[in-house]
Amino acid sequence: MSSSSSPMQSTGRKLKLKSKDDETFEVEEAVAVKSQIFKYMVEDGVSNGPIPLPNVNGKTLARVLQWCQKHADPTITEDELNKYDAGFIDVDQAVLYDLLMAANYLNIEELLKLACMRVADMIKGKSPDEIRRTFNIKNDFTPEEEEEVRKENAWALGP
Amino acid sequence: MSRRVRRKVARKGKVVSPIYAETEDEILGLKQYDYVDWTGLPDDTVLQLFSCLNYRDRASLSSTCRTWRVLGISPCLWNSLDLRAHKCDASMASSLAPRCVNLQKLRFRGAESADAVIHLQARNLREISGDYCRKITDATLSVIVARHEALESLQLGPDFCERISSDAIKAIAFCCPKLKKLRLSGIRDVHGDAITALAKNCPNLTDIGFIDCLNVDEMALGNVVSVRFLSVSGTSNMKWGVVSDLWHKLPNLAGLDVSRTDIGPNAVSRLLSSSQSLKVLCALNCPVLEEHTSFHINKNKGKLLLVLFNDIFKGIGLLFVDTTNKGRNVFLDWRNLKNKDKNLDEIMIWVEWILSHTLLRIAESNQQGLDEFWLKQGAALLLSLMQSSQEDVQERAATGLATFVVIDDENANIDRGRAEAVMREGGIRLLLDLAKSWREGLQSEAAKAIANLSVNTNVAKSVAEEGGINILAGLARSMNRLVAEEAAGGLWNLSVGEEHKGAIAEAGGVKALVDLIFKWSTGGDGVLERAAGALANLAADDKCSTEVAVAGGVHALVMLARNCKFEGVQEQAARALANLAAHGDSNSNNAAIGQEAGALEALVQLTRSAHEGVRQEAAGALWNLSFDDRNREVIAAAGGVEALVALAQSCSNASPGLQERAAGALWGLSVSEANSIAIGREGGVAPLIALARSEAEDVHETAAGALWNLAFNPGNALRIVEEGGVPALVHLCSSSVSKMARFMAALALAYMFDGRMDEFALLGTSSESSSKSVNLDGARRMALKHIEAFVLTFSDPQAFAAAAASSAPAALSQVTEGARIQEAGHLRCSGAEIGRFVAMLRNSSAILKACAAFALLQFSYFNCSLPSLVAVMPCTMQASCRMQEQHEFFVLRLQQQLPHLKPKYLPELYFATLNTTTWNHHSKGFFSCHNLSAANFIPSYGRFHS
Repeated sequence: MSSSSSPMQSTGRKLKLKSKDDETFEVEEAVAVKSQIFKYMVEDGVSNGPIPLPNVNGKTLARVLQWCQKHADPTITEDELNKYDAGFIDVDQAVLYDLLMAANYLNIEELLKLACMRVADMIKGKSPDEIRRTFNIKNDFTPEEEEEVRKENAWALGP
Repeated sequence: MSRRVRRKVARKGKVVSPIYAETEDEILGLKQYDYVDWTGLPDDTVLQLFSCLNYRDRASLSSTCRTWRVLGISPCLWNSLDLRAHKCDASMASSLAPRCVNLQKLRFRGAESADAVIHLQARNLREISGDYCRKITDATLSVIVARHEALESLQLGPDFCERISSDAIKAIAFCCPKLKKLRLSGIRDVHGDAITALAKNCPNLTDIGFIDCLNVDEMALGNVVSVRFLSVSGTSNMKWGVVSDLWHKLPNLAGLDVSRTDIGPNAVSRLLSSSQSLKVLCALNCPVLEEHTSFHINKNKGKLLLVLFNDIFKGIGLLFVDTTNKGRNVFLDWRNLKNKDKNLDEIMIWVEWILSHTLLRIAESNQQGLDEFWLKQGAALLLSLMQSSQEDVQERAATGLATFVVIDDENANIDRGRAEAVMREGGIRLLLDLAKSWREGLQSEAAKAIANLSVNTNVAKSVAEEGGINILAGLARSMNRLVAEEAAGGLWNLSVGEEHKGAIAEAGGVKALVDLIFKWSTGGDGVLERAAGALANLAADDKCSTEVAVAGGVHALVMLARNCKFEGVQEQAARALANLAAHGDSNSNNAAIGQEAGALEALVQLTRSAHEGVRQEAAGALWNLSFDDRNREVIAAAGGVEALVALAQSCSNASPGLQERAAGALWGLSVSEANSIAIGREGGVAPLIALARSEAEDVHETAAGALWNLAFNPGNALRIVEEGGVPALVHLCSSSVSKMARFMAALALAYMFDGRMDEFALLGTSSESSSKSVNLDGARRMALKHIEAFVLTFSDPQAFAAAAASSAPAALSQVTEGARIQEAGHLRCSGAEIGRFVAMLRNSSAILKACAAFALLQFSYFNCSLPSLVAVMPCTMQASCRMQEQHEFFVLRLQQQLPHLKPKYLPELYFATLNTTTWNHHSKGFFSCHNLSAANFIPSYGRFHS
């Protein structure tokens, strides 16, 4: 991926970003402000140098910026956006995890919500064991704890 | 691994990209994949994830590991708790107690849960809201308020709390000094001293609702100076004189709701003109006021009167300083307002609440004369309210939508105009969005609305197009019974037509519905009825019926038919089994049902139900199931003949549906001679003749079929004559609108008068039959005359003469087409029966000969199976000796068919012509075997529910 991820049509100012694997990206402010942290930076006035993002790799950042671009586009209809989101978030677990982490780190509320909903969909209706298998979670309860947990949650798990 | 493959493909297009870096990245990515540690997600993200889930899923997620267990009990997830879908008893509440330390809001359902509330030990509770609290007592309520001194809001309703008295209200006043909002429904008497106690002890009490009460002390209410919002909607015995004298003096009163009361124009005028503080007076559905539609409103500046005959959207828009561009978006605009006005917000929130409440009440009452209101603004109002930020308002609006479209609860009728109004206003999308919420209260109400609206085919189409089928199939898997029930209801209604069956199956709906039956096999009558109803509709489709069986549906439905005591469930389970069994030879469901232990016995039992619908569907199921030889015998052995004869005898005043199926089931059973004789012996002939006289085509057609089968037996034939069956059959034969009925009546008459009955009558002449002094000769003449007339209706002499002269195939087939009864293709005919017709070809009556040839034409035309052709061969031999014109033609046509026969059968055929006794050897059963091969589908229908 290169800095071509945001085709520039508008005259707005641009933000330079640098991923943890040293890829640089140029993105319009109007697009970047989807992220609350960039918004603050823009509001505070940013330096010219690229903003280092030590927690986000280039591939994920490219994806995130593509999403921001789409969501900053005023010509796009809500319907199209929903369709786009559905396709965008239909990714494997590793990518989804990276997106969640990035959305959290960059504080992009809508994207975080989208990713959370996607994970929630993978959880819905599953038993604890099925959730563990889905997400490769280790059951670290002692038998005593397990019993406590069972009692604790019986109210919601009953018929 | 799949990831790598995908990337490889993607890279093909790239030529000069930095391959090295990508590869390294990919390796990193893969490594990372191995180590994706979901428990490493930031806490706030996990909390957000929890908040997207319902309680059940939250509990499951908390049960997976320590990290998430700890996060799952975070106080921020326990601000509010909705226990309505959960069984809440003291021990369950105690188990929740540690998490409820900071609980602010609680919703519960039912008096039992009310008793358990104190065990949550949620001392900091601010808001309590309970529904279905008819049985809640003063004692329970007093304990609740005593334990929750911080309470600011208490709501019980909309069900009437008939056992709550003023004593409990006094307890509330003494225990909850911080109370701001108190809304109670259906209290008999709200005494002055209770209200005075509230006024004295609860200085912050700004919102009062005594809704649907019997008596409320108006004078005392006039002294609650703190009140800003007051609702007495639906409350009777109001003294409006006192109200208009006193309430306008309430210094803070901004909103007053007197909807559904007998308030008149004078009181309204006085309140509007005298009160200094009043902003909104809501008087929806007040009959006295509505008689005076000329009554002028809104002349009181700055005060808004909401009435059904005014534009409510426009009125509410006037509350805003900026009145531009409001209209129907007034609620939406207000919600999106950047600069909120606190006073206005409070008013709007209250208006949303009282509107949703009153609209639902009006919808429930199903009043006449409100069509215009609903179409013009009611539907749009409900949709606006459905987008409220108040969850209970959203729910009530959705319930309102589910309710107001229903105009006839009995016959599953919804108002087309109203349903389409909801659709036009974008309601389907809104409802589906609501159904996707994690909140189960919203899910169930939205699903209910979708279900009811989908009775309208246009709405159903729109629901399908918007992805609603997948959503409903998903909700049907919910562990929440109420959600699953409404979703199953939605699938039931969507499965009515042919259009959506495939989509439902594709969405996994069939499996979900079958699973529902197993999941709620005890204690979920509503779910079971809807699931079985949906499966019944789906089972009418060939492909879906196979899927139902694969999903275990046969076992599930038989289980319901055997064990369930609820009539609605029995009815739908029987209908589903009927439809499953209706696919003839295309799948093995029919036999599979019979193999379920006790299935047929249970259905025979259900024909004795006190409920007409159950009797009807059980008979329908037995009709279809008797298509299978083994099933037929099991049904008979289980007392099916007696039960069905009794049913036929008792259904003279029943619906055509029941009559048709009762006769149909007897038709199915009478395929075997033993059953046929048993039916005659049990007294089945007379009721079948009565049914043959029915005006309803479906009824007399099936009755004619049964009588045709019965008439094969000479004893039964004599009974039919004795019971006055000849005129009935003659009438059918000459005037039924159904070709099939005319045909079968003719054949029954032919059996009765081809001579066998006379032999039987002579042989067995007993004092009994002679005493009836039946004029057999007269009956015979009448019968033959009508048989002849019937056969003649199928021949065109001119075309016939031309065809016979030319023998050209085209001319011949034209004439045969004319003589063909399309529907007779459904009839199967055994060798024995063919034998009877062949014998009839030797009859001395030319009419019976023609009739026999005509019958053979019909059966041979469709049934090119070996036995029937074996039978046909000698008939052609016989026929060729006689030169009767019409007879000859039919035979010509039969001969034409023979060349189609495979050569290897020819020797056998030849042998058969020499020795006609071999016919029986080839035919499966001893007796005639005719039946509707593609047995009757019980028509699909849906149900809505309120």
